[in-house]
Amino acid sequence: MLIDMPDDLAVRIEDLSITYKINVDTKKTLKNAVMRASKGEKVRMRTVEAVKHMNLEIPHGSVLGIVGANGAGKSTLMRSIAGILPPTEGRITVNGKISTLLALGVGFNPALSGRDNIILGGLASGLTKDEIAAKTDEIARFADLPDGFIDMPVRTYSSGMYGRVAFAVAVAMTPDILLLDEALSAGDAAFKEKSFLRMRELVQEARTIVIVSHALQTVKDLCTHAIWMHKGQILAKGDAGEITEKYLEFLNVGTLPSNLEDF
Amino acid sequence: MSTQGSNASAGSKGNGGRDGFVPRIQVFEPHRASLPPVRGYMREFWARKRFSLELARFADKAEYLDSNLGKVWLVLNPLLLAFVYFLLVTVLRGGSDKASGFTTLAHILIGLFTFYFAQNVISDGAQSITSGGRLILNQAFPRTLLPLSSAIRSFWQYIPTIPVYIVVVVLGKLFIPKADIHIFSWALLWIPYVTVCLALTAFGMALVFATMNVYFRDTSKLLSYTTRIWLYGSPVLWLPEMLHGWHRAILYINPLGPALSATAEIWIRGHAPTLAQLIGLLVWAVLAMVLGGYFFISRERDFAVRI
Repeated sequence: MLIDMPDDLAVRIEDLSITYKINVDTKKTLKNAVMRASKGEKVRMRTVEAVKHMNLEIPHGSVLGIVGANGAGKSTLMRSIAGILPPTEGRITVNGKISTLLALGVGFNPALSGRDNIILGGLASGLTKDEIAAKTDEIARFADLPDGFIDMPVRTYSSGMYGRVAFAVAVAMTPDILLLDEALSAGDAAFKEKSFLRMRELVQEARTIVIVSHALQTVKDLCTHAIWMHKGQILAKGDAGEITEKYLEFLNVGTLPSNLEDF
Repeated sequence: MSTQGSNASAGSKGNGGRDGFVPRIQVFEPHRASLPPVRGYMREFWARKRFSLELARFADKAEYLDSNLGKVWLVLNPLLLAFVYFLLVTVLRGGSDKASGFTTLAHILIGLFTFYFAQNVISDGAQSITSGGRLILNQAFPRTLLPLSSAIRSFWQYIPTIPVYIVVVVLGKLFIPKADIHIFSWALLWIPYVTVCLALTAFGMALVFATMNVYFRDTSKLLSYTTRIWLYGSPVLWLPEMLHGWHRAILYINPLGPALSATAEIWIRGHAPTLAQLIGLLVWAVLAMVLGGYFFISRERDFAVRI
């Protein structure tokens, strides 16, 4: 199949819908299924439309912020761009290597050392062991880990250290597209400064970053564009400053701006 | 089996990778419970096989980090179990002469070791997806790598049990020279074939149960009873020769039957496996891999939603 994708686009989302069904009644067990079948009951399922008919294009070298209330579909969207959640309808085309930092999730096994966890994460994302080994010390340095901590079990890390390592791993993979879901809240002010710098470097190399954050200031400072998601749809898109203003207004007032009420 | 919600699945179509295997352009589209492009899938699987290996290694490391005796239990556990079953079987049979008693013990020992290898591949593999939560939610990779990792670990646990068997038999023959066991023979050359077929059979079944376990979380619980019954239905505590006529079909209907019969043939009698056993092994391996692979891979894109 020939893929028609302009070179300057990192991600193209066409008419994307993602729905999933949740079993509301009981635990998903064979026993319950048999019991229900014997009584002739049907499973009550609730359909969740996490993303509805969404269109979006993200050019290379841009930083896109996604804001929106809990349950707006932000994380679902991120996971579908990463290829983890399949679309129910529509199509996502991704041009480049993706690195994900979704909900601070590099930790596989708290009993293992930071180094071992980094190796596992790298291997799962398709790097070779040598490539990762070469980067591990760089990651430890970037994450400001105290001496020797990289070889200590992850369970001994403070939550700040954990978050910093997660971020350091995600940026060290030199991704073309970096997906960050609430990843910037981990570090202190100094680390935040450092991570901003690193992200700006990435952007200068024409890499693309997508950030989901509730920290509006972060979105404002870092992002070139932003979208505001509401109940699975894009409510507004445009300049990051403008969108965060609108969103903040909504948060304070609690009602949608009059021109957006149709949603 | 409920397949609601599995109406979507994504395929990645590689346009030649910049890094050799990571496709440059990926397209994610829905398709209903069907296979993603198999070649692309296999390429990604192959490129990341190292991940399975390291995951197995680290899982081992994490488990035995705090216990010095840990690894010893791997050998001690089946050994003690074999002893318990040996007592049970000899008591039930009302005792017998030493030589045939020892042959029975050897048969139970190698049968149990081999059975436990398959059982571990299946039961650990069955849980590999549901316990891989965060990994599955946060990273896209061929999910078959997780049960593969469990299979690799089970294989490592199987390896040391073979020298244990050899030591037990060699020592036993010193004291009971009449025991009718021929462990060193040319038939041992068949071991790789038998082991590979058995591993593939077990891995294929692990794929089936891992998928089921995502939809029905009590599958793995049920599995522990199933494998127990399975053990009693396999030629481990009894000899394949005890079956006659059409009863012998039991040996082949059981997916592990040919492997266990062949193992006894090689390790006890020192004979090459029979043609029927060799064919049975191959048929079950191919069947399990094709069915298990299809069942698992066609549904694996759905796992992230259901974890």
